[in-house]
Amino acid sequence: MSEEILKALTQLFAIITKQDGGVTENERQFVINFFQSELDRDSIKEYVELYDNFSGYTRQGIAEEEEKNKLTSVKDSIKTLGICKKINKTLTQKQKVIVLIKLLELVNSDKHFTPQRLEIVNTVSTVFNIVKESYKIIETFVISEKVEELNFSDILIADSSAAKSAELQKHAHVHIEGSLAFMRVRSVDMYFTKYLGDQSNSLNGFVMQPNRIYLFSHGSTIKTQEGVALYYSDLIGDFNEEIQTTKLSFNARIDEFKFPNGAIGLRDVVISEGAGKLIGIMGASGAGKTTLLLALAGLEKPSKGSVLINGLNIHTEKKKIQGVIGFVSQDDLLIEDLTVYQNLYYNAKLCFAHYTEEQLDQRVTQVLQNLGLDHRKDLKVGSVLDKKISGGQRKRLNIALELIREPAILFLDEPTSGLSSRDSENVIDLLKELSLRGKLIFVVIHQPSSDIYKMFDKMVIMDTGGYPAYYGNPAQAVTYFKKVTHQVDSNRGQCEICGNINPEQIFNIIEAKVVDEYGQPTAKRKVTPPQWYEMYLKKFKINRIEDVKEQPPVSLHIPTRIKQAGIFIQRDFLSKISDRQYLLINLLEAPLLALILSVIIKYRSAPGGKEYIFRFNENIPAFLLMSIIVALFMGLTVSAEEILRDRKILKRESFLNLSWNSYLQSKLTILFLLSAIQTLLFVLISNFILEIHGMTLAFWLVLFTTSCFANVLGLNISSAFNSAVTVYVLIPLLLIPQMILSGVLFSFEKLNSVISTKGKVPIVADLMASRWAYEAIATHQFINNEYESNYYEYEKAQSQADYKSGYLAEELKKRNQFVLDNFDTKNDSIRSLVTKNLNIIRHVISVEPMKSGLEKISLEKDLKISSYSKIIGEIVDRYLVNYKKHYQKVYNNNVSLTEKKMAFYEKKGVNILAEKNKHYSESLSDLVRNVTTEDRLIEYKGKLIQEINPIFQEPNKEGLMDYRTAFFLPEKNLLGLTVSTFAFDILIIWLMSLLLYIALYFELIKKLIDSFGKVHFPLGMN
Amino acid sequence: MGLHFYNMDKLSIAGTEETPTIILDKQKGTFEFSGRSLTEVPAEFYKPVVKWIEAYSKDPNANTLVMFKLEYINTGSAKSILDVLLAFQQINSAKVAWYFHEDDEDMEEMGEEFSELVEIPFEFLAY
Repeated sequence: MSEEILKALTQLFAIITKQDGGVTENERQFVINFFQSELDRDSIKEYVELYDNFSGYTRQGIAEEEEKNKLTSVKDSIKTLGICKKINKTLTQKQKVIVLIKLLELVNSDKHFTPQRLEIVNTVSTVFNIVKESYKIIETFVISEKVEELNFSDILIADSSAAKSAELQKHAHVHIEGSLAFMRVRSVDMYFTKYLGDQSNSLNGFVMQPNRIYLFSHGSTIKTQEGVALYYSDLIGDFNEEIQTTKLSFNARIDEFKFPNGAIGLRDVVISEGAGKLIGIMGASGAGKTTLLLALAGLEKPSKGSVLINGLNIHTEKKKIQGVIGFVSQDDLLIEDLTVYQNLYYNAKLCFAHYTEEQLDQRVTQVLQNLGLDHRKDLKVGSVLDKKISGGQRKRLNIALELIREPAILFLDEPTSGLSSRDSENVIDLLKELSLRGKLIFVVIHQPSSDIYKMFDKMVIMDTGGYPAYYGNPAQAVTYFKKVTHQVDSNRGQCEICGNINPEQIFNIIEAKVVDEYGQPTAKRKVTPPQWYEMYLKKFKINRIEDVKEQPPVSLHIPTRIKQAGIFIQRDFLSKISDRQYLLINLLEAPLLALILSVIIKYRSAPGGKEYIFRFNENIPAFLLMSIIVALFMGLTVSAEEILRDRKILKRESFLNLSWNSYLQSKLTILFLLSAIQTLLFVLISNFILEIHGMTLAFWLVLFTTSCFANVLGLNISSAFNSAVTVYVLIPLLLIPQMILSGVLFSFEKLNSVISTKGKVPIVADLMASRWAYEAIATHQFINNEYESNYYEYEKAQSQADYKSGYLAEELKKRNQFVLDNFDTKNDSIRSLVTKNLNIIRHVISVEPMKSGLEKISLEKDLKISSYSKIIGEIVDRYLVNYKKHYQKVYNNNVSLTEKKMAFYEKKGVNILAEKNKHYSESLSDLVRNVTTEDRLIEYKGKLIQEINPIFQEPNKEGLMDYRTAFFLPEKNLLGLTVSTFAFDILIIWLMSLLLYIALYFELIKKLIDSFGKVHFPLGMN
Repeated sequence: MGLHFYNMDKLSIAGTEETPTIILDKQKGTFEFSGRSLTEVPAEFYKPVVKWIEAYSKDPNANTLVMFKLEYINTGSAKSILDVLLAFQQINSAKVAWYFHEDDEDMEEMGEEFSELVEIPFEFLAY
């Protein structure tokens, strides 16, 4: 207490006691006693003098007779006001309640109650903002000496009478002479006690003076003369309606807990508790504290035994106890890029769907205040290494994340480790308060201070090897261990002067070592864990709490899946935009790559080498491939760490049973958005520099689709692997096949024959998004650019006619001639060649629309070696001559049509050459027309395959599901429909993304890897 | 309790042996507290007064000069008078004229104490 406050109090004492007849000896003695408890010997004198001065006390014991009409002097009134205002500024509400009680006790010390005195005390109480009801009960509690006058619901009387003596008060039956009265001051949640009777009882080892008011603080114990102990937690439980009405039973019986390596972690631990208890778990290192906590919380399954909450097994009936359990691990589970407030806010939003924004804000603010974090609420949390808030604050915030949803049972693993003693006390205070509101709380605690230790209602002490050693009242633990080891002062659990308990003592006794003949402690323990356990079995009979039949209380209200996704998106988005580095890199990456790529490959491509002309830029095909690789790369890197980074947070939120689907959708929404922006920036810049016109939307659509595919792929590996390094090492493994099998770097025709097929893209390549993307982008650019689109149809017909007249007709003729020459041979190998050639001829003609001249023969019957004849051979030969002529005509027609159209445009003032230079890429055209091929036509597996000009070909319509074609065909078949390659390929990539999403949803890759992990390598270390 | 007349513009309470005379009149610009206050239920007595002032403070006159001319107040009333002053404190233009009998040092001192507890300009006038 500061000097200023003490002086103020002294004045207050003086003002009160000088009223109505002045100070009496008793009153003065009370004040002196008060000083004695607050001050050192030297200062007491000074303050007593001060008091005498203010109160006008004279040694004769007669106060100055200066009464005016028996009214309080105006001066005193105003002084009282001034003092109270001063006190208001410094003291907490709890301290003010204590001051008020002191004042009432002062008046009570001589039973000199006069209206003036009480009026002053009453005014003090008003100025202190003490609730009227509280004042009434405090006044009555201090003044009254009869239990029946204490008729309040916040009064508890403990005595030997059978029933309560007033209607409202609570009653506890205790063997005691006289009565113990307890009062709760609800507004500040404080408890006071006084004793009415003649016995000498002790409160925390101090004798209780009759009719004196004592603060009944956490962990207090009253011992009656007969030795009956009354514990704080039991008495408080009687007061608390919430504890009484909370229907909760927790019955754990862990007969055995085996680690995967076979070691036993816990043996015969029985814990049975109800609502409103704060239970500590202590033990030497390796005693299985954390294991016990995990098993009790349902995170680890005991090999034998069960944990029941309200009769529900937490390991097998998880669904039914959803939201009941909260667990605060030692890990740091914060979202680093969000502020303290935001971390809590989004967590609360996921827990309380039924709250309005205002209520949410209130709840968050309140929890922040409770944990002393309100002034830090707008600071970014930062990573463990790049700290923005202190370690203690991080810890408190981690606890707050669980506290905010107020689970009925809360488990905390060393919540105070690394905290200052003040912070630790605040945390435990908070837990205590929660327990008083009906929660059951288990805390693993390490080296608690005396104050913290006493706050626990029960203590479970574990010994090495998972043996229980103690289960009961914390204050009695020291006594118990002293007693069983026959120590001298075994009755004294706490320091007689300061009331402190030293929990270290317990472990000193438990782990005491045998001393050798030289006085050196040996490694051998005096009492082994099994021996402690034996004593434990004898001493502790655990009364099993009856299983409550109701559902355990849940404060949780999980939002709908859509809302969850919304919250996740909001949270993730905020977290990302507040990470400047992340944002900057991700938004600059695409433009930078576009800039580097397009500037480097832009050269003076015009035939004279004087200027840049898009048409002659030979880098365009490679550029398109690079664009796709960039899209894949950006998509992968941005998503590869996403789930991995959230893993800890997901672990915490697993208690909420939130929707995994919503979570994934939120991730995808944000990633897709980012991909959309990145690819758009990329396309805009590179197309601008390379002067690619009219392709922005199409290129973007392909790249965006590719990037989204990479996003989903990235999420898959991010959910499957445990470390960021693994994930990043995997990226090349995923990307390089995409490059190899893109169809551009290596021709599909010239791959290992195991995978390669002629005339169709190999199936392995069909698994690559890059190949689809490339095909889409290349065919679209070629067909739909503003120049080619005008003539494509004619050029297509022209190309087909040219192929037929120029190559196919000759080829068939040659083969027909071979058949003619050899159809009657006896040589088997030649006969098979004849058959093959006939098959080829038949197949080609059967899909041919031009059939005039063949009316007399049947393709099916006559083009077979058995029925083939010279006449048929000649008909076919003549047909082929006509065929050739027909297609030469078609060719010429289309050439002239093209020329006419060009002339038409030229007349309109269009510069055709300029248009071509602007839109048409020669190198891309070479690629999609496959001009470098050696053979325009090859025979493969009994079929003739056109190698040249895939871009002008049409797909075979052989079956509904036969989508496969050669690379760069302009169209594909899909269920009998003809779809442009561009649309088809994009669809395929989205389909692949969908399949990957399904794999992600079921975590298939993770499961696959986990199943690999179970395989034992004989050389592996354990 | 004395005659009680209450509306938005005017509050007037006639004094008794135990309660002061209070006239609060927005129109006339009169804000007066006089007499003695030793009621045992000061909070109840002053509640309507504080309420009136709060309503008035939403739309106050350009000048608000509050006159206190009290002979005696008990401790409880002192607390209530403080509440009254705190209510006036919400009005920027508020000023207090504190009258005391020239022999009554206590009342003068009380005024001084009040002036320290609130942030309204006080003028002390002996009569």
